Amino acid sequence: MNNLMMGLLNVVSPFNLLAVAAGTALGLFVGAMPGLSATMAIALLLPVTFGMDPATGISMLAALYMGAMYGGSISAILIRTPGTPAAAATVMDGYPMAQQGRAGKALGVSLTASLIGGVLSSIALLTIAPLLGKAALSFGPVELFAIAVLGMTIIGSLSSGSPIKGILSGVAGLLIAMIGMDPISGVPRFTFGTMYLFNGVSYVVALIGLFSIPQALRLVEKDDGSQKAALIKDRMLPTWKELKSMIVTILRSSVIGIFTGLIPGTGGDTACWFGYNEAKRFSKEKEKFGTGYPEGVAASEAANNAVVGGALVPTITLGIPGSSATAILLGGLMVHGIMPGPTLMTDHAQITYTLIWAVMLSNIFMFLEGLVFTRAAVSVTKVPNKVLAPIIVILCVIGSFTINNSINDVFVMIGFGILGYFMDKLDIPTAPMVVGMILGMMLDNTMRQSLLMSSGKWSIFLSSPLSTILLIIALLSLLQSTPIFAWLKKALFKKNAPQLGGK
Amino acid sequence: MKKTFLKKVVISGLVLSLALTLTACGTTNQASTASGSSTQAASNYPTKPITVLQGFSAGGGSDQLAQMTEPYLQKILGQTFVNQYIPGATGAIAWTQLARQTKSDGYTISITNTPMLMTNYLMSSDIKYNIDQLTPIANVLTDPGILVVSKDSPFKTYQDFTNYAIAHPGQLTIGNSGTGGDDFFSILQWQKATGLSLKQIPFQGDGPSWQAAAGDKVQASSTNLGVVYSQVKAGNLRALALYADKRSDLLPDVPTLKELGVDMVAGSSRGYSAPKGIPDAVKKKLEDAFAQMAKDPAFQKGLHDAALPADIKIGDDYAKYLKDQETTFKSIWDSVKEQVAAQKK
Repeated sequence: MNNLMMGLLNVVSPFNLLAVAAGTALGLFVGAMPGLSATMAIALLLPVTFGMDPATGISMLAALYMGAMYGGSISAILIRTPGTPAAAATVMDGYPMAQQGRAGKALGVSLTASLIGGVLSSIALLTIAPLLGKAALSFGPVELFAIAVLGMTIIGSLSSGSPIKGILSGVAGLLIAMIGMDPISGVPRFTFGTMYLFNGVSYVVALIGLFSIPQALRLVEKDDGSQKAALIKDRMLPTWKELKSMIVTILRSSVIGIFTGLIPGTGGDTACWFGYNEAKRFSKEKEKFGTGYPEGVAASEAANNAVVGGALVPTITLGIPGSSATAILLGGLMVHGIMPGPTLMTDHAQITYTLIWAVMLSNIFMFLEGLVFTRAAVSVTKVPNKVLAPIIVILCVIGSFTINNSINDVFVMIGFGILGYFMDKLDIPTAPMVVGMILGMMLDNTMRQSLLMSSGKWSIFLSSPLSTILLIIALLSLLQSTPIFAWLKKALFKKNAPQLGGK
Repeated sequence: MKKTFLKKVVISGLVLSLALTLTACGTTNQASTASGSSTQAASNYPTKPITVLQGFSAGGGSDQLAQMTEPYLQKILGQTFVNQYIPGATGAIAWTQLARQTKSDGYTISITNTPMLMTNYLMSSDIKYNIDQLTPIANVLTDPGILVVSKDSPFKTYQDFTNYAIAHPGQLTIGNSGTGGDDFFSILQWQKATGLSLKQIPFQGDGPSWQAAAGDKVQASSTNLGVVYSQVKAGNLRALALYADKRSDLLPDVPTLKELGVDMVAGSSRGYSAPKGIPDAVKKKLEDAFAQMAKDPAFQKGLHDAALPADIKIGDDYAKYLKDQETTFKSIWDSVKEQVAAQKK
């Protein structure tokens, strides 16, 4: 308790407040730039914080993480290019809303959902972190495989229209994920003798190409001077009534976000899809998703901001990073001479609690700065298309280069951009491909680790209760979209109509 | 009026960010392409910032070494160091650049990690550099290997561990940090020395490997002292054996493999190397800087606090160390190559 108060006192010192505010602002900006992701920005800023006090430096980076999670939705909504991979699912409903002239509303919903997700995860971090932290250790290869399988079923809900085209795109994504060094045997696969492919194709690079380049081309193709939509005519923030209608979705996504963050190896990039998928699954108006439905935006945005607190839970309680961004934070602590591990909560409690409060505060800064920044950002849509399109392309080039300082990544990005353009023309959705690439590596690696452990027995996937439950949910998700499920539901619904009606 | 103003603000913001990013990229590149290696330039080396190629991402083990050493080296040499991160192919992209595409003027050096520096090209013919194309400057630290199990594990001692391995040949699951990494080779080395066999489960990095052991997903993990020291100290993991020459003063109760009758020492070393053919005067200057830094008590304390044992080997000592390691790894890899290939099928 003492440490708790100490952390709070620490964080409200003027310099730390300034650092958190600056970190959040930077995060909003970086997040909104297509091609620049939170992870990358943290990595770039990390060396700058080496000169600061560890608590200040790490707080600033965590605030940046939080800011970027909302920032990513700005460009996702306004120009259909996710600012960060974690905002990819926001495009699905955010952009259609903007096209209908409700950009302001979409951004307001996104900001509110981000705030709620962020605050809830900060509260979880502050109160039940030690309890939740232990849960991170219960995820081994077997459980991670089950999560990846469950994740793959998301492809189903992303392929509205033609399931075959969705599956085609998802499977292509899975195959692309197989490129690179085989994690088990160490043998390079599909690398054509070049070591630049040893690490495989980065899905972040591919996502920049798949989402942003086709959009830039689309802008040029239908250059009508400027986009007419996107004006904040209506009030930005949702009304109390609107908020009430989507609060369940926001809460569900927040919990999903916290847990996705908690699990080592998954972060906002996955959480936004999980949040979106579950919102659609439980919604009474499934068909509205993808057409500019505010709940779709809220679902994905609450989830990716909730990841921040969730991912920090195992980071501070056990020294296990919950996402790639927190892995860099941990590296930053290490460089400051603070050993990541259980001692973070005891020996370095002052730094840790400052960090936790900084995350909490960054939500407030994010909301306030977000309101101002968003109003300014909306005018991006008034920039003529022929100016906007090349700017998007330039940002994509910079973004894909900065990830690994590699020009080859730029070529890969452009390659995916051209692929995405033609997929678009053929009405093949690009989102399933991204999901396939994000989960493919995890699916491949964890399946083979598990089978190694069990000497090839597939029953290992049912040996852990956690993985069994996850796999059953995955199976149900699959059945849900087949006629069998509809028939079952009908049969059950008829029998239990009175009880279900009461719900 | 207001609209055009906003537009201007946004556009100038975009342009500014572009310019900033480009400058940031530009400065690092400038240093690496800069030339000027004449004997005259060598005598007053260094006259401009030194670029350090890092084969791994910011915040990783390489970066940790960089941040711990470079402040001291900067003071001694009077020039700044510019870190350039080129992650990919377990460091091979950076090291290939160092060995084959870098001017030998001493203004571009790299952090070299064993065993990846050698195992990269021993294991894959697609990787075209080798240590003969480098000038090893100095090794800084060696993080010894350590055998850990979860706190609830039935293996209380190293003896329990080997007894189980004897009774269940090829069944005991042990995590490593990745095929071709230091722990992968340590386990092979251990198997060769003891004649026992374990079931290696490769993870992606040291973290997932020890976490799987801590969560009882695998029965043990072979990892590094610096990685798990705080976990062992907090009681989340139990250390059974250290693969060092002598016990560590951090964990004085953990016996070494040598004490336990297994004659092997293994771990992961990190140091600095330059491309082959740098001027002798430059080489001497760099070596002297490392020797001077090694004596600094503040530097020694920093390493100790991070649970990283200093292991200073300057110049030819480091070169010999790398060469010896290369021979060891080559013989281990050659003897298991067929085995691994067969296992894959």
